[in-house]
Amino acid sequence: MSDRNSTALLKVDNLSVDFGEGTPQALSNISFSLGRDEILGIVGETGAGKSLLARSLLNLLPEGGRFTSGDIRLEGETVLGISEAEQRKIRGGRIALIGTNAKALLSPVETVGAQIARVLRAHRDCSQKEAWKAAVDLMVQVGIVNPERRAKAYPHELSGGMAQRIVIAMAMVAGPDVVLADDATLGLDATIQVQVLDLLVKRCRELGAGAVLITHDLGIVAHYCDRVAIMKEGRIVELEEVGKFLAAPKEQYGRALLDAARVRPTPMVAKVEDPVLEKQPETPLLDVRRLLKLFPIAGTPDVVRAIDDVSFSVKRGETLALVGESGSGKTTVGQCLVRLLDSDGGGITFDGADITTMPAAEFRAMRRRIQMVFQEPYVALNPRWPVKALIAEPLRLDPTLDRAATDKRVRQLIDLVQLPAGIAEVYPHQLTAGEQKRVGIARALATRPDFVVFDEPTTALDIRVRAQIIDLVRDLQAEMGMSALFITHDLNSVRSLAHRVAVMRYGKIVEEGDTEMIFSAAKEDYTKALLAAELPVEQGTAQRDRAETRRLAGAAV
Amino acid sequence: MTVAVANLGVYWRAIPRPLRIITSRLLMLVPQMFGVMMVTFLLVRMLPGDPALLLLGNMATPDTIAAFREKLGLNLSLWEQFVHYVGNALHGDLGVSIFTSNPVVTDLLERAPATLELITYAMLLTILIGVTLAIISVVRAGGVVDIGSRVYGLAAGAIPDFWVGLLLIYFFFYILGWAPAPFGRIDTFVSPPDTVTGFYTIDSLIAGDLNAFVSSLGRLTLPVLTLAIVNAGALMKMTKTTFADIYRSDFIRHARASGLSEGTIRRIALRNSLPPIITLVGFMFGFLLGAAVLVETIFAWGGLGQYAVQSVVNSDYPALQGFVLVAAAFILIVYTVVDILYELADPRIRV
Amino acid sequence: MTRFIRYVSRHPGAMVGLTLLALQIASILFAPWLTFYSPEEADPLMSLQPPSAAHWFGTDVSGMDIYTRIVYATRINLLISIVAVAFAFVVGVPIGLLIGFYRNWMSALVMRVFDFIQSFPVFVLGMALVSVMGQEIWNVAIVLAVLFIPMFARLIRAEVLSLRERPYVSAARCSGATDGSIMFRHILPNALTPAIVQVSISIGLAILLTAGLSFVGAGVRMPTPEWGLMVSTGAQQMILGVWWVALFPGLAIVISVLSFALLGDMVKDLSDPTTRERL
Repeated sequence: MSDRNSTALLKVDNLSVDFGEGTPQALSNISFSLGRDEILGIVGETGAGKSLLARSLLNLLPEGGRFTSGDIRLEGETVLGISEAEQRKIRGGRIALIGTNAKALLSPVETVGAQIARVLRAHRDCSQKEAWKAAVDLMVQVGIVNPERRAKAYPHELSGGMAQRIVIAMAMVAGPDVVLADDATLGLDATIQVQVLDLLVKRCRELGAGAVLITHDLGIVAHYCDRVAIMKEGRIVELEEVGKFLAAPKEQYGRALLDAARVRPTPMVAKVEDPVLEKQPETPLLDVRRLLKLFPIAGTPDVVRAIDDVSFSVKRGETLALVGESGSGKTTVGQCLVRLLDSDGGGITFDGADITTMPAAEFRAMRRRIQMVFQEPYVALNPRWPVKALIAEPLRLDPTLDRAATDKRVRQLIDLVQLPAGIAEVYPHQLTAGEQKRVGIARALATRPDFVVFDEPTTALDIRVRAQIIDLVRDLQAEMGMSALFITHDLNSVRSLAHRVAVMRYGKIVEEGDTEMIFSAAKEDYTKALLAAELPVEQGTAQRDRAETRRLAGAAV
Repeated sequence: MTVAVANLGVYWRAIPRPLRIITSRLLMLVPQMFGVMMVTFLLVRMLPGDPALLLLGNMATPDTIAAFREKLGLNLSLWEQFVHYVGNALHGDLGVSIFTSNPVVTDLLERAPATLELITYAMLLTILIGVTLAIISVVRAGGVVDIGSRVYGLAAGAIPDFWVGLLLIYFFFYILGWAPAPFGRIDTFVSPPDTVTGFYTIDSLIAGDLNAFVSSLGRLTLPVLTLAIVNAGALMKMTKTTFADIYRSDFIRHARASGLSEGTIRRIALRNSLPPIITLVGFMFGFLLGAAVLVETIFAWGGLGQYAVQSVVNSDYPALQGFVLVAAAFILIVYTVVDILYELADPRIRV
Repeated sequence: MTRFIRYVSRHPGAMVGLTLLALQIASILFAPWLTFYSPEEADPLMSLQPPSAAHWFGTDVSGMDIYTRIVYATRINLLISIVAVAFAFVVGVPIGLLIGFYRNWMSALVMRVFDFIQSFPVFVLGMALVSVMGQEIWNVAIVLAVLFIPMFARLIRAEVLSLRERPYVSAARCSGATDGSIMFRHILPNALTPAIVQVSISIGLAILLTAGLSFVGAGVRMPTPEWGLMVSTGAQQMILGVWWVALFPGLAIVISVLSFALLGDMVKDLSDPTTRERL
């Protein structure tokens, strides 16, 4: 197998794509090659053309798209300009695609086993029974326990990670030569992401297939890829071995991405400067005691204990990070703090007052002091309101502000979150994700709150934007001196934002401590697992070697 | 208490899913039927004047009126009157038609097969035209069928069915002479086949009476066409929206990237469109039943619809009340079947 | 306004819809000046005249000029339909908003009532109700309104149910918005689009239903000029080859309903904020 490494398995030559005469090129002069047993990472921000490239390789351009130059060769033979039937043999048969959000990639009304078997039958002559058996066998290999039963499950009955494994099985079932993974682990929890990527890479090595990992996460590239191509505006601006790229990117853009991806170097130290406060460390601004939140499961008498006896406190000027994977209950805690949900037990004391028992009208006045920045930047803004109205909304909580004062404050806030003044008249859908996030932050800070809940402040953002938002939040916090609760699954961002970290799992806090303590000497296994699942760029080389060993060990078995 | 509920839950979930779906739907039918009866009951009570007089007509003598008041329980409270009404209805007593002097139930049973035959064939043709056009215009977007069906969809939504029926009669009967006269279900000189199903087309085949079969089929053509032309447009538009969304969904793109053939992909898309299409077809039954009232009048069909129109024209309230009840009951049953099929077709629905 | 003009200039459908609407408005306002005969006076001598220079669309059995009656009927048909839909909108939208926003036993009860109303075939229930209430123009409008209320309420409710779970509603609550502010300033404007589109479609539907009711003799009565009624007077003659009595009023129905369908499409495009740039 190794001697075939010398000839390029997949060769893309000067490929350009546009959407009709006179439109800008969506992909321009893309050239790269992929060998057997090689893993190429393609990295870029939203709109760089990564997904379009993946679809081009299958000759499945979106409506209106067309190739204007170049060629794609699979083992020396072109895949463009051949008959539809031959192309179908290549798709899924020799070049397989694994996409984002696996649940959406599976037909919701058919069993997953049947869907895997169907792909096999499209490429191999075999009976329904044989295909089903092959599907079940493959499900074992992608790490699905109890495959006979799971094969008969429908996609909605599976978790995201499980569905992603099914999609991988669909891609692998016909034994392809090239595997394209287009942001295949986006939206999965970190621990699941590592499992899925490990599995994907291992299977590719076993098949001797070449793989293209398309991602916006340089950490993934650092840990799994041999070479990396940096894409920007439809071009490959840099193509380099991963080790060399991490050590010294040649291009400005690559360097900017890499800088943004690195962990922010200055960890926060708890600095309670006010001597008065220092004297009374016993009265925290926010004190959560034995909080409980139950959700009934529809149609059954059972309940989910979303928050199960959670206690923590936040001092004035302090930032606590609440870290956990999806379903850990961390977002529910945030929603209880701002009374979007009513808790079922325990208490939340804010500046001496119990806000869980407070009447809604009374709490409304309190909202000036407790604010929240919402997770998804776009959907948290009313699409029919211009930015200035959005930012002005919380200012109504302050009856002393007249119209002129409100306008003035809105302008200040726009400036504060570093947006151009002209943005005031613009509607949310005309903003970029980063700008939307800034508007969300401006809303939360409008009333100069004492305490802000940040719900996943950095998810769904591109690397550079994420870094900018983190910097912005740090600056604002230093400037305004408010306390904050960060709810996140992204440990990297926590490190540079929080004084203390609390790790949540299954509705409980499993470990709590100072940020550096948690990062350097976590006590609980779960915290360690979470930390191990992080893919910081810095440790890439080391981890890649480790993965290589693991891989070889796996191959030997 | 909670333990008992929990146990019930366990037993409930032990039942196979299809059975659970059917049972829960059938159980819901009971209160729904009750509501429908309430509406039909109130319908006549809304009339100004003495319900007994209205329900018996002008020819009633004081004696019969008094006896009838007793039967309706008009001296009792409204609630008790309703109980009487439900009791009578459950015993198959929907009163006596003022116009035909027959029990309303007899009249309705006699005429139901005519309407059902009309609606059934119209429904089949509607589905055939509507779904086929929808699929072709999505798969070949921008093609002739796509553009044509867009125009058709717009037009079909604007054309009154009774007017289409008249135009068809004018062209195919008066001008071209291809279609038989619009007078009933079968030619006057052909005797109807013995009743088995009540559908002339099926009964004549059972009886081996080819003559009757051809005649009844010929008579069905124009009214069925009228209903289908108008209703297939609506079904097509709605199916197209559903099918187009699914045809552009991620899992279809993924299927294409997996090298599945276009035929397979269309089948997957269609299978996924099935639940919403089933719902649409259910709604179409309601439309068709309403449209049948108009179309039957034009073609002198002698079914429930024409009976209803006669009852309106003659102020025959027992007949009208009976018809409304039967129509609503029919639609409820259709919706129940539709809901059951929908839940069977979509594994995501929890029962 | 410029956006509106640009949209219309690029969408022939919208252009046709607006032109047809203008035609109907002209018929309503200027009927006496646009016609040459009385809409309700019979002239037995002129029975069933084919279309001619004197009678553009011919005459019916009782010798009334069909063109004149079609123009006058615009008033009746549009009046009934617009009043019915406006009433249904004004009543249905707040109900939908409330039962979508507050989910308690009252909302559940209202929904059940709607279920019952809607489990009857629309035309059948309409026919029965009008017949029971008396065949007056206003009764037709009231009955149609009652039939359409559940439609609007359900539509708004469905929108509200999905909108109230949107993060921006939670965000508004965190910003101190009251229930009223959330309902009327955040949810309603976003929920209204489908209802406004439905207004246009419903007017078309109402025209069809009104005509259908008159056609079977369960709507307005002769000699009121009404399109469905006019078609019905021509129904018998159609078999005998007299085509004009039924053809022209039928065409009037088609044109009227079509114009509202086209306007519905236009409203849908124009009221979607995310399509604003693309126009």
